Amino acid sequence: MSALLDAQHVCKTFTRGGVFSSRRIHAVCDVSFRIEAEKPEIFTIIGESGSGKTTLARIILNIEQPTSGALLFDGIDLAMVRSSADRMVFMHKVQPIFQNPFEAFNPLKQLDRYLFMTRRRFLAAGDHADIDIAVDDALRRVGLSLKEVRHRYPHELSGGQLQRVAIARALLSNPRLIVADEPVSMVDASLRMSIVNLFKALRDDLGISIVYVTHDLATAYYISDRIIVMQKGIVVESGEARAVLNAPQHPYSRQLRAAVLLPEVAAAAPSATLSP
Amino acid sequence: MTIAANSVGATQPDGAGPILSVSNLQACFRTNHFGVHRTVRAVDGISFDVGRGEIYGLAGESSSGKTTLVRTIAAAIKPPLEVVGGTAEFSFLPGYDGLHRAPAAEVARIRWRHLSYIMQGSMNVLNPVRRLRQSFVDFARPHMAGTERKFEQAVIDHLARVNLDASVLAAYPHELSGGMRQRVTIALATICRPDFIIADEPTTALDVIVQKDVLGMIRGIQREIGSSVLFVTHDMGVHAHLTDRLGIMYAGRLIEEATTAEIFRAPLHPYTRHLIASLPRIGNDTPRKGLEGTPPNLADPPPGCRFHPRCPLAMEVCSRSVPTMIGTAPGHRVACFAVNGSEEP
Repeated sequence: MSALLDAQHVCKTFTRGGVFSSRRIHAVCDVSFRIEAEKPEIFTIIGESGSGKTTLARIILNIEQPTSGALLFDGIDLAMVRSSADRMVFMHKVQPIFQNPFEAFNPLKQLDRYLFMTRRRFLAAGDHADIDIAVDDALRRVGLSLKEVRHRYPHELSGGQLQRVAIARALLSNPRLIVADEPVSMVDASLRMSIVNLFKALRDDLGISIVYVTHDLATAYYISDRIIVMQKGIVVESGEARAVLNAPQHPYSRQLRAAVLLPEVAAAAPSATLSP
Repeated sequence: MTIAANSVGATQPDGAGPILSVSNLQACFRTNHFGVHRTVRAVDGISFDVGRGEIYGLAGESSSGKTTLVRTIAAAIKPPLEVVGGTAEFSFLPGYDGLHRAPAAEVARIRWRHLSYIMQGSMNVLNPVRRLRQSFVDFARPHMAGTERKFEQAVIDHLARVNLDASVLAAYPHELSGGMRQRVTIALATICRPDFIIADEPTTALDVIVQKDVLGMIRGIQREIGSSVLFVTHDMGVHAHLTDRLGIMYAGRLIEEATTAEIFRAPLHPYTRHLIASLPRIGNDTPRKGLEGTPPNLADPPPGCRFHPRCPLAMEVCSRSVPTMIGTAPGHRVACFAVNGSEEP
């Protein structure tokens, strides 16, 4: 089996301060994992704020370069991807989805312009009608249509709809890997599950692997195949998602698991939570 | 369990009535840009009571009007927000029909002594260029009698309740972690032993592990000083752990209210039912559906019941008239024609 994404002892250190009092922050320490090319999966990175999960996501997206170690995408070391032509090819295959869709889109630009430009940039060929069809296809995958989005500005859509447009935009280049950094934490509860279900559908129908970065153990349990738990840059536990979350071994994972606020508490023991 | 009556509130009238009584409260945002008038009815005819020593939760998605409701109750009303009608009367402020109608001197007397707030961003509450000792003096000193030294001792004793030691008083807000800062704001909000605390998403910005500690702390202090709390968050897990009663808001209206246990065990309104059923749970991976459609635009809400375009039980009457809150069991009210029967008013 060949690896789609192969992280080999990835480290990232930030240096803060000047010559005399520099402080080193180890954001990511010696992280290794593999995502197989033949078997698309949802790979979840779990951790609190400051655990280095977003830094790791940025390294996977090649926005940040690891201090040491290497990250191979489809056999190519990302350190070699430097020219704009190479970057274009890389972005073709790896697409990001960010936490806040309102920040991800330019508020002064109509959404369909975004989608058309993305399409044109990645697949130079095609006239307007072709692009329309491709954009409409991508939007239909996420439960929208071009008619609903055409000539609309980001503020005219709800957070959930806008996050779907962000996913549709990512799909336009036919990526093999999507890196989603906290994609549902800004989305309303009634729409959250439909986005999460969408990720499942992308994996099953289109064979796209997804790196899902989150602090929410419940949605992680619901969709992930494998997870790694990070604490202060170090992977403290990794494995099959259900197994890890059902019976966490590392003290930190146990602590995380214990801190999940289960909705059952209220229904199961009403007397404990009730006042007279 | 019984909660000791608030012994410090000498001015507080006795009686078992609710501490906050909101009745048909309406507030809207009125804007006028380039000749285009827009009225967003963010709070539309909401009525509920909060009892003494009770934690009342408000749940709802973003733009369902929960923060506007809280701002109206707390009289933090700035244009374009306007109160159109209704009352929100506190038992410690009788005769004004709400804090927003009371004169400024009265509001200054009430604030912090009887009514305090815990907000989401602790950085916005604490002055970044003053040490925390000064923040405590700014907020609480006018409401507490006694010498400087006694005041300082009272602050230190109170900080111990939230597991902070006296050294934080010399620190600036940026020197503390998010969890510590939020604990300082809790200490700040409770030091005068207020009768009523408004908490607007106080744990949303915190990490999961810290969140549980902070919730436990709010619970502990609330039990100790016997305050009532109006707790607003969109996180149903937090409500399950903390609140006694729960009101569910949708598009500016209250649609269901019951004890928290009842809401989680037997929700009645289709929206609440969906909300509870769609919560992902560890150890259970049965497929869950998202709700179709999107929350309505409050500048142009659908007629009748505002949930009807997304409702699986929608009937013809739902698009014509607005359902009222009707009690289905003691303490359980719901606004839905499908649940209550569709007798025309």
